[in-house]
Amino acid sequence: MNHNEARLLIGGDPHTVPPELAEHLAGCPECAQFQREMTLLDDNIRRALEQAPLSMAPPATTPATVTPIANAPGTQRRKRARSWSGWALAAGVAAISMIAVWTLRPSDSLAHDVVAHIQYESNSWSSNEQVPAANVKETLAKAGVAIDMDSDKVMYAHSCLFRGHVVPHLVVSTPQGRVTVMVLPHENVKHRMSFHEDGMSGVITPAPHGSLAVIMQGNENVDAVAQQVQQSVRWLPSQT
Amino acid sequence: MRGVRNSGTETPVSSFDGSTVGAPAGDPIVRLFESMRPDLLRFAHWLARDRAIAEDIVQEALLRAWRSRDALKDQAAARAWLLTIVRREHARLYERKRLELVALDDGIELEGMPSPPGPDSEIDSLRGAILKLPLEYREPLIMQVLGGFSTAEIAEELSLSSTAVLTRLFRARNKLRTMYGLTPAPDAPDSEGVL
Repeated sequence: MNHNEARLLIGGDPHTVPPELAEHLAGCPECAQFQREMTLLDDNIRRALEQAPLSMAPPATTPATVTPIANAPGTQRRKRARSWSGWALAAGVAAISMIAVWTLRPSDSLAHDVVAHIQYESNSWSSNEQVPAANVKETLAKAGVAIDMDSDKVMYAHSCLFRGHVVPHLVVSTPQGRVTVMVLPHENVKHRMSFHEDGMSGVITPAPHGSLAVIMQGNENVDAVAQQVQQSVRWLPSQT
Repeated sequence: MRGVRNSGTETPVSSFDGSTVGAPAGDPIVRLFESMRPDLLRFAHWLARDRAIAEDIVQEALLRAWRSRDALKDQAAARAWLLTIVRREHARLYERKRLELVALDDGIELEGMPSPPGPDSEIDSLRGAILKLPLEYREPLIMQVLGGFSTAEIAEELSLSSTAVLTRLFRARNKLRTMYGLTPAPDAPDSEGVL
């Protein structure tokens, strides 16, 4: 396999490495570097696509989930013809990269992605039809969980693509108001995290498998209701 | 049914007028379709680049899916099946309204979009750049990344060879790569052979 063939395979599907490509990468640092860069780029493409297209996007108020590709080891930035402030630009890029590394903690990014997802499905808040218990059960079972609560409280239950995985997205009616619950089996968090973003308040808590996100509109304190939700979630045997 | 928009997601499938097509709201297949509507809408939205058009596409696709529901033998394959119907519906619309859609292409001003200096705007810039990709590159990229289709499946759906699909995907990513100021890889040899 030559360089061009390797790069065609990498560019075509950066996350798939057939044996012949792996063999080439083992002996070719340049293509290996290209593969690392393209994999990081592809992660960002996936995150970009899982949000709404730009015209639908809410104004960004917090940093998005970004893997700073420019920080990939050995990355060579393309030389640009700048007649002014070349050093200032370089310094700016370096500073921004450092900010990205130090401020974009995964948990913050997860909260942002959860909020962005809910905003895209904003109609979920206003659903007035109760979701049949069978639908709720079916939706949750795909993630290997069940929730012990009155089924007539569930006003929205969809299986949604989130960060590359299909996850349950519920809206539950509670005495405190409508609450969005997302079960995230593939998103591990170390600690309980509260956040306020774009008119929503939420918490993301560690779960036996991944995490749970509970979000309300407004600046409500969601701790109590999040605790109730957490206690009502049962992980089905196949997941435990 | 054209012109009817799904304004709410609470009754997404019944909103394609179950009474007309005889789809009972409690029907398991309707529930299955309903559960996938957000994904279908997002997929259509990236293809069409317009929310209202995407809603029309999904509306029409769900109608077609309901009429052809007997063809869905394995419900585990429903997502890919529905996404394929959405893609074909978009292709039909694109063919019908090619001139209008070309005009929309021109209306998207990449130059006016923020450059990619910082993390705050990086994803937004990437989204803008994806929208700016020509459909021949954007479509396989969306099918692969958002739809989860394999290269072979994309090739079959687009009536291309697998190499041609890889080439388009490579070029799509290479164009996006330049947005980051990374050195673009040498272009892939032309292998756009249609099967």
